[in-house]
Amino acid sequence: MTSVTLRHIDKRFDDDGALVVSDVDLQIASGEFVVFVGPSGSGKSTLLRIIAGLESASAGDIVIGDLLANDVHASQRGIAMVFQSYALYPHMTVHDNMAFALRMAGTPKREVMQRVRKSAEILQITHLLDRKPKTLSGGQRQRVAIGRAIVREPKVFLFDEPLSNLDASLRQDMRVELSRLHQELGATMIYVTHDQVEAMTLASRIVVFDAGVVQQVGTPVELYESPANLFVAGFLGAPKMNLLPVTLVSADHRGAEVTGPGRAALRVAVDAAGAVTGSAVTLGIRPEHLRFANADTDASNTIAARIELIEYLGDHLLVYATVSDAAQRLCLKLPGHATRVRIGDTVHIELPAEHGLLFDAAGVAFTRLPPSAP
Amino acid sequence: MTKTRSHLLAALAWAVVALSLLPIGWMLLSSLRHASDIAAGEQLSSSLALRWENYRDLWVNVDFFNYFRNSLVVCGLATVISTACALCAAYALARFRFRGSHAASLAITVTQVIPGMLFFLPLYMLYRNLGESWGVQMLDTYRGLIFLYVALFTPASIWIMRGFFVAIPRELEDAAVMDGCSRFGAFVRIVLPISAPGIIATATFVFLLAWDELFFAWVLTSSPDVQTIPVGIRLFINQFQHRYDLMMAAGAVSTLPVLLAFFAGQRYFIKGLAAGAVK
Repeated sequence: MTSVTLRHIDKRFDDDGALVVSDVDLQIASGEFVVFVGPSGSGKSTLLRIIAGLESASAGDIVIGDLLANDVHASQRGIAMVFQSYALYPHMTVHDNMAFALRMAGTPKREVMQRVRKSAEILQITHLLDRKPKTLSGGQRQRVAIGRAIVREPKVFLFDEPLSNLDASLRQDMRVELSRLHQELGATMIYVTHDQVEAMTLASRIVVFDAGVVQQVGTPVELYESPANLFVAGFLGAPKMNLLPVTLVSADHRGAEVTGPGRAALRVAVDAAGAVTGSAVTLGIRPEHLRFANADTDASNTIAARIELIEYLGDHLLVYATVSDAAQRLCLKLPGHATRVRIGDTVHIELPAEHGLLFDAAGVAFTRLPPSAP
Repeated sequence: MTKTRSHLLAALAWAVVALSLLPIGWMLLSSLRHASDIAAGEQLSSSLALRWENYRDLWVNVDFFNYFRNSLVVCGLATVISTACALCAAYALARFRFRGSHAASLAITVTQVIPGMLFFLPLYMLYRNLGESWGVQMLDTYRGLIFLYVALFTPASIWIMRGFFVAIPRELEDAAVMDGCSRFGAFVRIVLPISAPGIIATATFVFLLAWDELFFAWVLTSSPDVQTIPVGIRLFINQFQHRYDLMMAAGAVSTLPVLLAFFAGQRYFIKGLAAGAVK
């Protein structure tokens, strides 16, 4: 098992071109499963290729274990990579695909056979060894691609959106398979995806990228519960976090009060000491944290809204409501049986203070307070 | 599609095929007739015996073997050199971003829209000057023809093969590099085997073009030791004889290698052209 350290990595493709990856500083511990996530063009795949040795960094150092790998050939880094398109050699059998790297390294024939067979057994593809890639299904190809990586017994596995060509059901199966593989091999794994579900389910830590810059690094729970900025808040979670432009009325280290749409006064449990009252900020709250308030009781932190659309999704409902005098739409995620509301109804929606997040004008989040603080 | 419409389309397709094959059939039939019957337009007459001896006489009457050998040498070498050059250029254009790559692509395209005939005079003068001033004989030599054919047919070859290389996912080469190949090793071990259909298609294409080329071969060569089949066939018609029968037999014989080349590479040829076209 090996750690990977990235020190101030920059990448630009032309000398005078824009930075595709900017000042990435990252420590990936041995045996960790780290997922790089971000929209297309955010630099995550480029960074993976830099780690692999397929691209060189414009600045910075890549350290794999104890080895400064900047000038080390891709095949000498102790890394194996699984590509988005599988990249199986079409003119070779599955066996030859898996054996190729070992043969290139001059491994004795007998050992090649043993290692290919062992990897094939782990992935249950022994019966496919004599077949050509074109005769395999998408899932089988993916297994072979992973097998080709395993057979090299690398210290670090790199995955570049390996499940994006599979259908939803197969993707789910392969996610489980990859998790199992990680536990079984205990190797360091770096995984690139733009699918947040993959990121949340597979990662021990997630690195969120945007425009070549690391936005936040943390466990799935940390990123989901306490996003560092508006980008992370909006990127993780489906349906997306509700983001409402509000005005800061009062702020201190025990909490903040804002005026929301419909002039509702809303309390948010964040440490907003130092924030300028009267400034425009953004209130964020996840759809599953919103709930209907009883209009007869004196519930605080509520907004009046009109139901615009209800989507029934089996185990849950998505209710879209427009705040009365503003063109702001809120999304509520409710249990599937909560069908007492109808389109056109005016309701009161409660925004629990302890679940609210507040972002300043630059989009940076104020620190959340522990649940008991407000 | 209705059955009638399907039958009509099939009939139309066969009509086009028949029309295309008609000249070949006519050539084969004429090659088995006497010259006087051909002159009288009686090829179709069923009372005439088939003159298989025409296929023997054509080798005797004119030294046809000489032309055949010359064609094989010139076209074979031109095909090998042109394909090798096109291979490298097409891969570079498909894979690498380099200063002038766009201009190079444009220049290759432009050479295809200039009629070859326009090259004749400057080329002839160039060849003559090379011989007179530099002692490099290009006129009436194998190398003169080979050099010309390589120059003429390489640009089109580059475009056909470029389509093939563009269609090969870059990730395959990346995977090969991860597996321990150098960039060149990845090209040799992975890209070349995968693009074999494209290479065979291109080679077949160049061979067919070179085999049929008459104009430059006629102008740039004068001795039977160098002249190719299209030039040689013309010698059956001169001021002393009009051996259309032997000419037709020679035509049939000279078509054989072309047909063999085509059928050998047919699978790849069609696949190769299609891949280049759709990608």
